[in-house]
Amino acid sequence: MRSILLRALPYLLVGAFSVYLYTVAGRIEYHHRAGTLGPDFWPKLVLAVTIAVCLYETLRILLSRGRRSGASGVLQNIVERSEAEHGAGYLHVEARSPLLLAAGIALTAAYVWVIQHLGFFLATAPYVAVFIALGGYRRWALNAATSVLGTLAMMFFFMKVVYVSLPLGREPFAQVTLALMRLMGIR
Amino acid sequence: MDVLQSLAAGFVEVFVPANFVALTVGLLLGLLVAVLPGLTLVMGVVLALPFTYSMDITAAIILLTAMYVAGTYAGAWTSILFHVPGEPIDVPMLWDGYAMARKGEAAKALGWTLVSALIGGLAAATVMVLLAHPVARIALSFSTPEYFAIIFFGLATVVSLGGGSLSNALISLFLGLLIATVGVDDTYGAQRFTFGVPILSDGIDYLVVMVGAFGLGEVFMRMEQRFRSAPLQSIDTVTTRLPTLREAAAVKSTFARGTALGILIGLVPGAGATVASFLSYGIEAQYGRRRKEMGSGIAEGIVAPQTAATSSVGGAMIPLITMGIPGSGATAIILGAFLLHGLQPGPQVFETSSHIVYAVFASLFVGVIGMCLIGYFAARYLVRILELPEVIVSAYVVMCCILGAFAARNNITDVWLIVVFGVVGYACERLRFPVAPMVLGVILGPLAETNFMTTMISFNNDWTTFFTRPISGTIMALALASLAYPVAQHLRRRAAGAAR
Repeated sequence: MRSILLRALPYLLVGAFSVYLYTVAGRIEYHHRAGTLGPDFWPKLVLAVTIAVCLYETLRILLSRGRRSGASGVLQNIVERSEAEHGAGYLHVEARSPLLLAAGIALTAAYVWVIQHLGFFLATAPYVAVFIALGGYRRWALNAATSVLGTLAMMFFFMKVVYVSLPLGREPFAQVTLALMRLMGIR
Repeated sequence: MDVLQSLAAGFVEVFVPANFVALTVGLLLGLLVAVLPGLTLVMGVVLALPFTYSMDITAAIILLTAMYVAGTYAGAWTSILFHVPGEPIDVPMLWDGYAMARKGEAAKALGWTLVSALIGGLAAATVMVLLAHPVARIALSFSTPEYFAIIFFGLATVVSLGGGSLSNALISLFLGLLIATVGVDDTYGAQRFTFGVPILSDGIDYLVVMVGAFGLGEVFMRMEQRFRSAPLQSIDTVTTRLPTLREAAAVKSTFARGTALGILIGLVPGAGATVASFLSYGIEAQYGRRRKEMGSGIAEGIVAPQTAATSSVGGAMIPLITMGIPGSGATAIILGAFLLHGLQPGPQVFETSSHIVYAVFASLFVGVIGMCLIGYFAARYLVRILELPEVIVSAYVVMCCILGAFAARNNITDVWLIVVFGVVGYACERLRFPVAPMVLGVILGPLAETNFMTTMISFNNDWTTFFTRPISGTIMALALASLAYPVAQHLRRRAAGAAR
C-alpha cells in the first residue's frame, strides 16, 4: 500500500497545487469587458486539465494497485521493443548519492548568493574548486589551476570579448575584481 | 531563379571571415558537445547563446545553427566506439553501430555515419531552401485560428511522440504553459501569479527555464550519479572508412526513408532529432528489407537513425524561419537569438531580411560538408575530450548557465530562477516527467494563448472556429489524432494481453 501511495504522491501533490493555483487564478483583478474572456480563462483552462490528468492518474494507480502502467508515447514503445530485442541502450544507474546532490544544490545556491557580494572572480574560483572536489576529483594542484585559470579565462572572455558585464561585488571585494580587470586590460 | 540568386548571395555571406569563423567554431563546439555524454546538444546551444550577445546577428545564428547540425552527428562516434551515446539521439546507434564495431568494423560504421549525415543534411537543406519561401507565402494568409492550430499540433506531438508516460508528458506540458502565464497579461494588463514579487511582473523568460531545466537539471542529475561514466576503451585507433558507391546504392531506400522522415519530423513543431532518430530506426526495424537482421550490425541500422537525425535540422528550420514557431529545443534557442538581435522570424522575414535568412540557409550546406570533413579527418582528436573529467566540464557548465542567465537582463533574480528550474528539471527527470514538453510549453504558451484569445475575440467566443475553417480544422484533427494514437495503441495492447 505504501508503494502505491508513493507512486500516486507526485500526482496528488501536483493536483493539490493546481487546485490552489486555480483559486489564485480566480482572484486575478481586471476590468471585465462584456462578452470577452478574461485573463483568468487561459490559466484556469490549463489548471483544470492538469487537475483532471492528476485525478485520472491517481485513480488509475489506486484502482489497479499500481500494477498497470498507463498509455505511453510512441517513442517509448519503440525504445521498449528495441531494447527487448537488442539490449538496453541507456546506462543503468546502480548507485545514487542524494547527499552529494543536496550538497551540490546548496553549493550552487550559496554561489548565487555570494557572487553579488564577492564579485565574479572571488566567488567563482572557490565555487569551481569545491564543486570539482565534491565531484570526487582528487588531483588538488590540477583542481586549483583549473579553477583559478579557468575563471580568469571566462572573466576575460565575457568582459573583454563578448562585452558582458559580470558582478563586480561590494566593497572592499570590488577592488579585487577591478584590479584583475585592469591587469587584463578590461575597461 | 530568385531563390538561387539569394542563395548564391547567402554563400558569399557565409564566407565573410567573421561568419566563416563563427561557422567553424559552431561546428567544432557542436561536435565536442555531442561527444560529451553529460552535455546534450540543446544544452550546448543554450550555453553558447550568451557568447553571441555581442555578435552580428548573421554570425550569431550561423554559429548556433552549426552547433545544432553538428550536434546530431558526433554523438554517434562514442556510441559506435565505446557504447556510450553522446546524446539521446544516438541510442539507436548502440544497436547496430556498436554491433558493427564489435565485428571489427568500427571504421566502416563511422563511415556509414558520415555518409548518412552528409546525405541527410544536404537533402534537408535543399528541401528547406525550396520549401521555406512557398511556406512563408502560405503562412501570410494564415489567421489566428490557423496559428493556434499549428501550435496546438506541436504541443500535441511533443506529448504523443515522446518517451515515457503520456499523463506525465501532459502534466509537464501544462506546467510549462502555466509558467508562461506568469507576469502581466498582454490583453488586460492584469497581474497573474506574480505573488507581489516585482520581477515576476515581467514574466519568466523561457531561456531561464531552458538553461535551468536542461543545463543545471542535467548537472544535478549527473552529480547524484557521482559523475560516473562507463569506462572507455583505448581511443588510439579511430579511423573512418567510407562505404563504396555500390554499398551505398544497396541501401538507397533506407537513405530516402530516413531523410524524408527526418524532414517531416523536423517540420512538426515540437518533435526533434531524438524522435526522428528513434522513429526512423523503428520503421526500418518493422518494414525494412533486412528487418530481421537489425541489431546485428548492419548498415541500415546506422543509416536510418543518422539520416533522420541530421535531416530533422533542415526540417525544423522551416517553421522557425517562416512562422516564428520553433520545431525543437535547439530552434527555440535560435529563435531566442533572433529576438535578442531584434529580428522576429515569420512570413515577413523574406521581405525584410532575406539576406540573413539565405546566409543561414547557405551556412547549413557549408556546415554539413564542413562537419563531415572535420569528422573524417579529426574524429580521433575530438573524441579525446572524453579523457577530460566530467566533473570539471560540469563545473564550467554550471558557471556558463549562471553567467548566461545573468547576462540576459543583468538581474540576479534570473539567476535564482535558473537554480529553481534546475531543481525542477532534476525532479522532473527523477520522477520520469519529461522536461521537453515543459520547456516547449513555456516557449509556445504565450503564442498559443495570444492566438487563442484573439480568435475568441474575433469570432465571438465561438470555439468551433478552430474546427470549421479548412486549414485549422485539418491541423486540429491531426493533432487530436496524434494524441489519440498512443491511447488507442495502449488499449489495443491491453485487450491483446487480456485475450492471452
